[in-house]
Amino acid sequence: MRFAALFTALVLAAAPARIAAQDAAPKKVDIITPHITDAHALDIPAGFGHGLVQEIELPHWAPLHIGSLELDMSPTKHVVMLLLAATLVIVALTSAARGVAKRAATGRPPTGFSGAMEAMVLYIRNEVILPNVGHHGEAFVPFGLTLFFFILTCNLLGLIPYGSTATGNIAVTATLAIVTFLVIEIAGMKALGAGYINTIIFWPRDMPLGMRIPMSIILSPVELIGKFTKPFALAIRLFANMTAGHIVVLALIGLIFSFGSYVLAPLPLAMAVAIMFLELMVAFLQAFIFTLLSSVFIGLVRESHH
Amino acid sequence: MRSLLSRVVALSLIATPLLAQEGEAAGGSVNLLSPSTGLMAWTLIIFAIVFVVLAKFAFGPITAAVRDREAALEAAIASAKADQDAAAALLAQHKALIEAAKGEAQKFISEGRATAESMRAELLESTKKQQDEMLERARRDIDAEKGKAIDEIRREAIDLALAGASKVIEKNLDDAQNRKLVESYLASIGTR
Repeated sequence: MRFAALFTALVLAAAPARIAAQDAAPKKVDIITPHITDAHALDIPAGFGHGLVQEIELPHWAPLHIGSLELDMSPTKHVVMLLLAATLVIVALTSAARGVAKRAATGRPPTGFSGAMEAMVLYIRNEVILPNVGHHGEAFVPFGLTLFFFILTCNLLGLIPYGSTATGNIAVTATLAIVTFLVIEIAGMKALGAGYINTIIFWPRDMPLGMRIPMSIILSPVELIGKFTKPFALAIRLFANMTAGHIVVLALIGLIFSFGSYVLAPLPLAMAVAIMFLELMVAFLQAFIFTLLSSVFIGLVRESHH
Repeated sequence: MRSLLSRVVALSLIATPLLAQEGEAAGGSVNLLSPSTGLMAWTLIIFAIVFVVLAKFAFGPITAAVRDREAALEAAIASAKADQDAAAALLAQHKALIEAAKGEAQKFISEGRATAESMRAELLESTKKQQDEMLERARRDIDAEKGKAIDEIRREAIDLALAGASKVIEKNLDDAQNRKLVESYLASIGTR
């Protein structure tokens, strides 16, 4: 069943190339870039006899102007994917929560889907978030869990046919990283109070003043850069991992067309299938890592007493 | 290098208008690292909605249910432990009671034995005393009777001797007759 889905996905990914190849041989065809970038069109299954994929144009809205900022809120493929992921996550987890609550009323642990969701929620909560954010970490649990499930669903949506990886877009990962950055810094301010300034300005109290000032001048920028590299790394890691996997799969599929041979086709196909399995693992891994590192960073700033 | 640095700053400090344009729209080479502000705004809005909805309707109830279950389990374990402790205490109490009862029984037995012993000794003592007394009395009675009998015999003998002598004196003249007399007297005594 899953193999069939994967196979369909691979065929679909290759479909635009096949059409383009018929047009003109010398024209260079880029099947990878459209796949990994955002677009104002949505790929949907076409009607019978019209090929496998059909693009529908999404509406263009007039850009909003907020001060000097021009904001084009026209929906794109990734916006649709984000909305789909949001809907899926909300439906899946709220229904799971209902199931858990219903079973909890009878004093028994949940079964089936809600049991599986509860196990995942509990694992992320007890093994990833709570041990890393430090004491009184209960307040950060919903944030970390939302990160995990939202990123995971976005990652997985990129693996199904007609799907697109919203988390393979730097805008999405950067926004998530910025939100995480804000959460980290606000957590630091709350936990340290006035001492939060010490996480920006390096001011070693146990050193003589003559040493303190040069040390502060040299190390304060390092501390400040350290603050910004964390979310930057989060954004780049997720973006690069999600994009890279898709590029590898598409490159392998592209091999079939560069060889132009049916005989050689099974080999790249088998490799692409293997990479798709790897991608399935990476989808979970990257969602997990984003959550884990966010928790670790929150814990770091909350525990940094100078 | 400079463009990379500017991107670092741009990413960290929430989208700047500089990077607002979409690289793809231009139709030229695609810059994967230029974020579109529209998508960033969408992401923010969607993530915020997902966060609020999930925190309220999913993670809250799940965590609450799990906490309740954990509390119930904890309570069950605690009550089981309390029950066990109570049972152990009860067992110890019963053991102590049985021990005490055993000791008491032992005491009773030994007391009974001691009492029996003393009673036996007492009884033996008193019996012996009584026996001695009785023996003494019997001996005394016997002595008294013996003395009385001896006195009687003595008196009788005297009387007899006197009677015999008087008869002898009465018929002193005839020796043969005297003899006969005494003999007939003695014979009469025999008949008497």
